[in-house]
Amino acid sequence: MIAFEHVGKRYGGRFEALAGISFRIGRGEMVFMTGHSGAGKSSVLKLLTCLERPSRGRIIVAGHDLNALHASQVPFYRRQIGVVFQNHQLLFDRSVYDNVALPLIIQGMLPAEASRRVRAALDKVGLLHRERALPIELSGGEQQRVGIARAVVNKPALLLADEPTGNLDPQLSADIMRLFEDFNRIGTTVLIASHDLALIARLRHRVLRLREGRLVADEEAA
Amino acid sequence: MRREAPRRQAESSRLNNPRRNGRQDGRSERVSSRQGARNYQISFDSRWRAWVRHHRQVAGESARRLLKRPLSSLLTMLAIAIALVLPAALWLALGSAQLIDSRLDDTAQMTLYLDPALSESQAMDVADRVRQLDTVASTQFITAAEGLDEFQHSLGLDDALSMLQDNPLPASIVVVPVQRDPEAAQQLAVQLGALPGVDEARLDTAWLERLRQLGELGQRVVLAFAGLFGLGVLLVVGNTIRLAVESRREEIEVVTLIGATHAFVRRPFLYSGAWFGLGGGVLALMLLTIGRSWLSAPIDAVARSYGSHYLLPGLGFEGSVLLLICSTLLSWLGAWLAVGRHLAEIKPR
Repeated sequence: MIAFEHVGKRYGGRFEALAGISFRIGRGEMVFMTGHSGAGKSSVLKLLTCLERPSRGRIIVAGHDLNALHASQVPFYRRQIGVVFQNHQLLFDRSVYDNVALPLIIQGMLPAEASRRVRAALDKVGLLHRERALPIELSGGEQQRVGIARAVVNKPALLLADEPTGNLDPQLSADIMRLFEDFNRIGTTVLIASHDLALIARLRHRVLRLREGRLVADEEAA
Repeated sequence: MRREAPRRQAESSRLNNPRRNGRQDGRSERVSSRQGARNYQISFDSRWRAWVRHHRQVAGESARRLLKRPLSSLLTMLAIAIALVLPAALWLALGSAQLIDSRLDDTAQMTLYLDPALSESQAMDVADRVRQLDTVASTQFITAAEGLDEFQHSLGLDDALSMLQDNPLPASIVVVPVQRDPEAAQQLAVQLGALPGVDEARLDTAWLERLRQLGELGQRVVLAFAGLFGLGVLLVVGNTIRLAVESRREEIEVVTLIGATHAFVRRPFLYSGAWFGLGGGVLALMLLTIGRSWLSAPIDAVARSYGSHYLLPGLGFEGSVLLLICSTLLSWLGAWLAVGRHLAEIKPR
């Protein structure tokens, strides 16, 4: 599903965020990526979402060579992956329902068609009863679940998450992770960047450890 | 069982109906070729309808956004309107000048002043000769006495001129040429001026030529103003849209991250620009109408004192529509330029 081949990313002249890392993530895997801030986690995610291009090396995602992707194709590529952000990136001037429907509207789906899928996604994260609420009225954990519902509403084959439990207490964090496991169970490939080592250790999935732009450990699922 | 039978029949007939199958072909093929991908396929028809619907929705939304902040929207529209009114008013003024010009064009004629030493019969002979020329359409002979008479009447100088002992005016012939373009008339004037017994041939259209040149100057001035103020509209709208883009930066980042195309992101701002332009155009029309009615009374008074009747020209229906289209397109363009520039700056973090 994801293949990094000697990928390097340099910012400006000197600073090397990624120093030629290689790894593969198979279809249907669930993988954690850890490391201190500055280790290169967010660089990997930015490269995967085409926010940035690698300085060297090759990245293949679901058969797409990201280097060969033209700027005009990037939006269509992004529609195939779901992304969950640490700060949710919800739009606070519209309802939970409209936030979740956004990817479908962007893809050109009629609202009537979209409604069934939006409700299904909200139901999955347990927030169907809050569909009319504004994000500001929700707790942090609920906002994150809305973000997840938005990421999965178009049933992406690949789900990326950047510190999805960053600001949540352990109980809520565990709930969120369980949600990701649920999606993984139905075949979605999941890659989660997180520094919550205790939680990761409990969950027993494959872990990629990054340090200073290098892949220092690739621990298979226990 | 019984109930199901007709449904099955309908289903099989649908499968066998080639036309229906044909319509669905594009969709079914795409789905099957990408069966591996779990991504949802949306048919072209549904995409098209969703696109149209999205346009309508965005148009409405951007209009509502403008109405939500009526004062600042009105100020922007007013700025656009003022930038449009000046070139439009100049254009109208120029149009009325050209109207006078074309009215006078028909009277392209010249006056031959004859040698005062000629006797009346000699002068008549000259007039006859001129009348018989192919290039002359018609002539009117004015004797010296008639000329003086007319002069006295038109200037109201009866008393002053009656003190003169001799008639200082020569006999004259008013000539209307066959060809009325300035060059041919000029040529004829030279030719007639060289005739024996003719003192001077004066082309009455010389000042018309000057007016025409002034008209051309005016046209260029209008063009320059239109260009400058058009640029002004672009800047006004561009700046307003830049602020709008800035205030919705977060939203732009989010929708870009989840796969919105540039066109999708641009759309609401382009509609805002178009609405600003339309509103500005309407305001400009209102300003022009007010200005016209405000000026028409004094202008009518002036015209009446000259014994004529003059109506300030308006834009008319076509002109008004043209103005609205121009202002809408111009503001749309301004929005497009601003959004294009600032979208490049906004990169999701």
